[in-house]
Amino acid sequence: MRGWHVHEVASSPDRVKHPCVRKNGKLEEVSWDEALGFIAEKMKAIREEYGADALGFLNSPRCSNEESYLLQKFARAVIGTNNVHHGTGVYSNNSINVLLDMMGVAASTNSIAELGQSETIVVDGVDLGKRLPTIGGAVIRAKLKGARLIVVGTRRHRVAESADLFLQIKPGTEALLYGAMAKVIVDRGLMDLGFIKTRCRDYAEFLANIREYDLLRVAESCGVAASLIEAAALAYGGAKSATLMFSASMEERSRDSIRAVVNLALLSGNLGKPGAGLFALTEQNNLQGVCDLGMLPDRLPGYKPVTDESARAAMDALWKTRVPAQPGIGSRAMLGHRGQGKVKALWLSRYDPTNTALLGDVAGQLRQLDLLVVQHLFMTECSNYAHVVLPTTAFGEEEVTFTSTDRRIQLAGQVVEPPEGLTPGWEQIAELGRRMGADWKYGAARDVMEEIGQAVPFYSGADYENLARDYGRQWPCTKDRPLGTRYLFGEGDGGGEELPRNDAERPFKFVAVPKPAERAANPRAFPLTLVFGNSLYYWNQNVLVRHSETLKREYRQLMIDYPQGFVEINPEDAERAGIRDGKRMRLCAANATAAATARITPEVRSGTVFVPHFMREVGQQILGSSGDSFRLVPVRVEKEPA
Amino acid sequence: MKARIVSREDAPKIVDLLRERGYEVIAPFGGRGRDTFFEPVTDENRGRIQIHLPNPDYPPKRYVFPPMERLLKVERRDGELRIEPTYDEKKRAIFGIRSCDVAGIYHLDRFYLGREFADIYYEKHRRNLFLVNVACTDAEMDIGENCFCMCTDTGPAAREHFDLQLFDLGVDGRGGELMAVAGTEAGEALFTSAIFKKAARAHLERRRVILEEVRKRFKPTTTSWFSAAIQAVSRGEIPDETWDEIGNRCLECGGCTYVCPACTCFTVTDRAVEGEGVERLRVWDSCALSGFTRMAGGFNPRRAVHDRRNRRFFRKLAHYFIERELSMACVGCGRCVAVCHGDVGMPSVVEMIRRQTAQRKEV
Repeated sequence: MRGWHVHEVASSPDRVKHPCVRKNGKLEEVSWDEALGFIAEKMKAIREEYGADALGFLNSPRCSNEESYLLQKFARAVIGTNNVHHGTGVYSNNSINVLLDMMGVAASTNSIAELGQSETIVVDGVDLGKRLPTIGGAVIRAKLKGARLIVVGTRRHRVAESADLFLQIKPGTEALLYGAMAKVIVDRGLMDLGFIKTRCRDYAEFLANIREYDLLRVAESCGVAASLIEAAALAYGGAKSATLMFSASMEERSRDSIRAVVNLALLSGNLGKPGAGLFALTEQNNLQGVCDLGMLPDRLPGYKPVTDESARAAMDALWKTRVPAQPGIGSRAMLGHRGQGKVKALWLSRYDPTNTALLGDVAGQLRQLDLLVVQHLFMTECSNYAHVVLPTTAFGEEEVTFTSTDRRIQLAGQVVEPPEGLTPGWEQIAELGRRMGADWKYGAARDVMEEIGQAVPFYSGADYENLARDYGRQWPCTKDRPLGTRYLFGEGDGGGEELPRNDAERPFKFVAVPKPAERAANPRAFPLTLVFGNSLYYWNQNVLVRHSETLKREYRQLMIDYPQGFVEINPEDAERAGIRDGKRMRLCAANATAAATARITPEVRSGTVFVPHFMREVGQQILGSSGDSFRLVPVRVEKEPA
Repeated sequence: MKARIVSREDAPKIVDLLRERGYEVIAPFGGRGRDTFFEPVTDENRGRIQIHLPNPDYPPKRYVFPPMERLLKVERRDGELRIEPTYDEKKRAIFGIRSCDVAGIYHLDRFYLGREFADIYYEKHRRNLFLVNVACTDAEMDIGENCFCMCTDTGPAAREHFDLQLFDLGVDGRGGELMAVAGTEAGEALFTSAIFKKAARAHLERRRVILEEVRKRFKPTTTSWFSAAIQAVSRGEIPDETWDEIGNRCLECGGCTYVCPACTCFTVTDRAVEGEGVERLRVWDSCALSGFTRMAGGFNPRRAVHDRRNRRFFRKLAHYFIERELSMACVGCGRCVAVCHGDVGMPSVVEMIRRQTAQRKEV
């Protein structure tokens, strides 16, 4: 739905049209010269007094590649800090480290267009219908062409309705489930030994570990029938090519559950061929690109660690400066209590952390800064605390690139004229860089891409001319491979012809996942399990949604229906407790209680109560000060006495 | 209707004639791959005008019914509220509109102007619009894999509702020729230009042969089963399970309605504009969205997506609506097929209805 309404956002009358600087407590319109001059002076002063690490730079995973690259370059090369990150809260990219460790690449391995060639497709966790409808559509169409569709997750979302097998597991049991599936595949001899022998390391350890998973006991822990787990394992392991997709944007997912996913793909040899692979789905339009280009505190563009001396040396040579060796701190730390007092200046690029509900008192943090620069289309909530607001051009008003979840670097052309006086975000960063002494000569966004090609080897063939020729190119897109790569690890990508001589040369690695402790059954008095998670409800407050007439109406419905927010409960559980939709109910844990409005929906698994993160009071009351929202809490629900 | 012959070389000069007469001319232009877009003709892109092109995914209905349009402005001036309507009365011509889209505009005419109250905003756009239809005769370029105008009886060559129709008669010795047919007086008025030559009986014959040939070039997969589906929908013969399946596959994106040349729904909303007061907007709406039928008190008669989805097909296929508008709200352009994530575009739904009805007959 959202993509159909971009024009509404760009044409909103509320766009900020002039740069603003706070004077006497009020934001006042100033010239570009004054705004950028002010920032440069202030940044220099802060660096002088507190050191470079007192400055931090955050952007949104909706920012373009060019903007992201220049922002982290500005931080690293001009300011001298690795304090760069894409926004956190509703965003994260939890799988980067696991995927790099096990496969050497932090991205989806195959193409969405290949789904039609998959025999089996597993969709884990992500609500494709709401979050990634284009991919949801590709999955449904593949299923209509005959692919078997397996949906794993706690919620019965739209795509689950079309599934052949729906494994509605208890929250937090994914690693157990995939362990048991791996065991079934091994027991039935469905593993791809040829693939494992030639391309994977540490199989023996994995094999020893997998024996600990007992199908029947796992079935009980996961809350789904053993036969269903078995059927899913056979469908996945027995397929000629099988795809597994999971969300890379959920913070709740444990690393082990992602390791278990990768193990499963290795075990069945589902890498390096069309119609197979793993999809680490990035739910924001450019989360992939933002990470590729180094908006990470511990990784440089191209994912090389900041601590890697030779990788730093390569950047030093390109940028003609010295990149700091100390990894920076991430957005969670910058905005959370750990960053308190340490970060004096913050740059927020198209990112408004005050309404990403996961974090605590962000507004309080922002208020204490010596310098807050906000780059955005609109006056956001955090502009209330900003010292400088820099308005930028919107999607469609600038020529830039974005990288999709299947590694496709796409050129988004300029189709409309921006409001007078507005410049692309990357240009503002470049100009600021020049004012702070950098010798940057980017005439156009394509020049930035040119440099990205030198910094990130797998982008080296992705110049604008090449990108414009087709619907973008999938990386690795190099000079030798200008058409890009549809799927990774294919023939000729090293590992095809000649068998590696020793273990260390094999590209993939199994990582044994210690069997998670099976959760004890809930005590009788507290039969339900409380789960915390993201809800689309937060879109109400999203600044882009607020400026689109249609989206505003759609996302407001929940707010109007449940003005005090809600927690979600399954119809069966609600009926048992005599709770009605829209009425107050009480959540009783062993030593805490909270009250909230009930939203009854069959999407939620029976036996669980879903608490969206924006229901902060419920979280605080139930979890106490620890605030560990990944914990699962046994509760009982009661009607609130009138 | 009067017919003339224009050479292929001279055909773009029709655009010039229209521009001389004060029209902003809109024409489809090619982009990447098979992408095409309607764009205003300028001196710069005039040379890139093509007769045969895939039909753009985004229909031309926005020139009579914009996705977002200011209806009026409310201002407080000297202590008084002033309400001022805003009309767009620009003269526009669409050069190269396909026959299905001509039928789409006609359907909008029926809806907005055809009954007791005429929509004044629509009327102002429409009265200033000139349509140059190009008949789809190039099987490679004009006919897409999702086209099914043969089933809705709207193409490949429109019979009415255009001002001028161009029909490519192919290459015949002296270079390419097109037959120009005037559908209105305004269209006929263009014939005073010297680029239009007399048509002979042989031209008409060639038109007939080409039309017959091109009808065979539609993809067989898109032959749907319209009249029977209309009957089944109108008589309420579709079982709930069929609507359930359709609903399950709808991801509620609204795409089908935004690309539909015949969808008419809109919502009205007010917003503040700094320094200007308040503006009232008309914005495209979509029956796929739950806010579409939600009432102020919170009750939603079509809360489940299944109920919303079947509404789309009632609206387009039920006899009641076809009779009311004397025009069907589906013109066979196939755009909904291209954008639908769940493959529940019109031909698929008609096919599902056909299968289900056939099964019932077997029982």
